[in-house]
Amino acid sequence: MRIVVCVKEVLDPDAVNNYALAGRLTIGEDGKSLTQTAIPRLMNGFDEQALEAALRLRDAGVDCGITVVSAGPEPATILKHAASLGADDLVAVTVDPAALDSHAIASLLAGAIRSQGGADLVLCGRQASDDDQGVVPALVGEMLGMPVVTIARAVEAQGSSGWRVTRVTPDGDEVVEVDCAAVVTVSNELGDPRYPTAAAKIKARRVKPTALSVEDLGLAAEDIQPRVVFTKQFVPTIQGNCEFIAGASAAETADRLIARLRDDSVIP
Amino acid sequence: MSSNGVVVITWGRGGEAFAGEADDVLTLGREVAGALGGELVWLALGPVSDEIQAAASRYGAARIDRILDAKLAELQPDVFVEALAQYCARQSPRVVLFAQGFDARLIAPRLAARAGAAVVMNGAGIEVGSGGGLAITASAYGGDTRVVYEVGPARPCVVSVLANAVPPSAAAAATSPAVQDVPVDLTGVEERIRVVSKARAEGPRLDAAEIIVAGGRGLGAPENYELIEGLAEALGGLPGASRPIVDEGWVDSSHQVGLTGTITRPGLYLAAGISGASQHMAGCSAAKTIVAINTDADASIFRYARYGIVGDCLEILPELIRAAKT
Repeated sequence: MRIVVCVKEVLDPDAVNNYALAGRLTIGEDGKSLTQTAIPRLMNGFDEQALEAALRLRDAGVDCGITVVSAGPEPATILKHAASLGADDLVAVTVDPAALDSHAIASLLAGAIRSQGGADLVLCGRQASDDDQGVVPALVGEMLGMPVVTIARAVEAQGSSGWRVTRVTPDGDEVVEVDCAAVVTVSNELGDPRYPTAAAKIKARRVKPTALSVEDLGLAAEDIQPRVVFTKQFVPTIQGNCEFIAGASAAETADRLIARLRDDSVIP
Repeated sequence: MSSNGVVVITWGRGGEAFAGEADDVLTLGREVAGALGGELVWLALGPVSDEIQAAASRYGAARIDRILDAKLAELQPDVFVEALAQYCARQSPRVVLFAQGFDARLIAPRLAARAGAAVVMNGAGIEVGSGGGLAITASAYGGDTRVVYEVGPARPCVVSVLANAVPPSAAAAATSPAVQDVPVDLTGVEERIRVVSKARAEGPRLDAAEIIVAGGRGLGAPENYELIEGLAEALGGLPGASRPIVDEGWVDSSHQVGLTGTITRPGLYLAAGISGASQHMAGCSAAKTIVAINTDADASIFRYARYGIVGDCLEILPELIRAAKT
């Protein structure tokens, strides 16, 4: 059985967020890129959790090889991290992300998966923490003819070829089953991914990614033609209009707030 | 419909084709249709209630298209995507709009793939260029930034619209949209996803709450979350949480408010020990009144709040509970 995990390298979202909270997030001269070059790049958090879901399946006894695929400018770094977590095979598609969109990336990932002989399960993070689009998994599913199960907190093998997935819905957990190969997206409710062990990191040094070019994937030009072109990025300004409420004591402050909210008819 | 029309697609839970307010999506749809020189159509999967009829008229829809099929009674992704793909093949809308919700996150991109369309999620606005190209504004980095995506004039486009991003506004003149049935052939579709155990909502939903009291890391320890629950109860509201404390396991994910949690629209949102990160504010910034309690006077949340208290929520919350009960 082959489990494929798709991973993306992103700017550390906590670092971006800290800059934003400090009011120091700025856009460069190209009007698109964030200027903070000091922000580290790492594997998208939800994709780490997708890889964790694969490792849990193997731990549970599913006889599988785990292949991790990444399409991006320098896939090697996060693929090495995937190997140190336990991936068996790595596939790197080197591309310039500026020339691509979700549709093009999905074409590349689907092509890479086909080139490896297909997959019994494709695991992806629910969305990338940079663009938050979350459409690549569904597009890959359509391209490979696989059903797509989204927002999973748990994935289990079901029978010899199927999957049982617990999804986090607004109304609580839902459990679904598919009897065939599927794309499943993983959400943070799956829990913390494991850390690489020292031994695994050493072993990972010997794992070399299979490098595939766009030509190797046999894709037509229109398959990787972006349908959506990213042209601009800006930081929205929020105008504050906060009235601060204070009193001589916590009790007095609280009384003042409650009184004000009652005056405004906001609370009973 | 010509190929410069806009269609807004909705469906409901359990057979009723309207899962909440679509006012904002209809408003955006009308504006884009006008700019394209096309019509706004509401596509309802399921019966058309008086509520849908009234909203369609108020927001200026030219027509309501209705697809009635027993297979559409409950959400089944393969079936829904097939029905919508057949509709789009027949009607060739230029822009398809969804209100971004849990199921739309799956249906929108799958439909786009089937229809050869571009797809943009987290949409906050759409401008139409002079040549008929589209510039779609969306949120990125959890809401820390806005991005603009352009789609060429010859490409149909699916856009999923963020809740609370577009202020609803009624059409200058109400329309009288007729209901038109659209046939689809779903006999050939086999749903590959089987629901084994349905989600069962326990109690009132956070996205419908009028009063929400939410807690974050500033609470310090998991046991302090009971102060949030206590104040919520005292005010007759529901407790919410930021993602960090959900990830820490202090509280169940059903309480999570934010871009990847629940998007809420209450009359009062009281945030205690929450910094005001965009990911969280995306879930509550549309509240009519936001109150923030934080030890840091420079916390980002005070830029969104109507009222602020700079202080320790562990001291303030018990006093608020007392005051709320008197």
